[in-house]
Amino acid sequence: MTPSESAQLKNRIRRLRFDHGEMTQQELADRVGAARQTIIALEAGKYAPSLLLAFRLARVFGVKTEDVFQWEGE
Amino acid sequence: MKDNLPLAPLQRLAWFNLIVFAIAVALYLIAVPFFEWRFHMTLTRAALPSLGVFGVCGLWGLGNYFLYDRRRSAKVKLDERETLICQRAGTIGVVLFWEVFVLLCIGVWAYLSYVRHQATVPVGFLPFLVMLGFVVYMVTQSIAILVQYKRSASDDTL
Repeated sequence: MTPSESAQLKNRIRRLRFDHGEMTQQELADRVGAARQTIIALEAGKYAPSLLLAFRLARVFGVKTEDVFQWEGE
Repeated sequence: MKDNLPLAPLQRLAWFNLIVFAIAVALYLIAVPFFEWRFHMTLTRAALPSLGVFGVCGLWGLGNYFLYDRRRSAKVKLDERETLICQRAGTIGVVLFWEVFVLLCIGVWAYLSYVRHQATVPVGFLPFLVMLGFVVYMVTQSIAILVQYKRSASDDTL
């Protein structure tokens, strides 16, 4: 995925973290089995995750994948 | 709120590789004048045997220690994004390795063949060329890893 394509993928991870008791990036990273740097890159829209990681993130927040990620491409 | 982001294992590995390389370069800069003084060589002549100090780069093999999780032995501590970073860095390293290696090999061979009129490359050059190639690969890969981390994780908000 190119950087411009990654930019079309929006996410609500930061919002969801705060809605879930101000969960820290490290906590979230530990729960989904990723590095904290990966969560930072995701929140900054600089990385498009694999389907597996997207599903794991959604499960941690107890929501559907599309509630975490929105694709704004054509 | 900003806090200090601990280095990821891959970043530690990259820094370790660069520090070992810096030590090797520093030792080389000490070794050349030392060889010149101790064995009464010219600087140019001392430059070649002094390359032996790059044997310190053998420590690179120990760098993989950073990638192992002590709690879960034999499990590598890289997630999917870090694996991608590693792959990209490796590709950049291989590209530069080939550029330098081929350019140097062809360059040395052409110089010796057409300027010095020696048809062959001295055997003693080969280990240095191979070593230089790998040094280029490892250093490029390490820099590429650090640059990618910096570019993709610049926002460290808690």
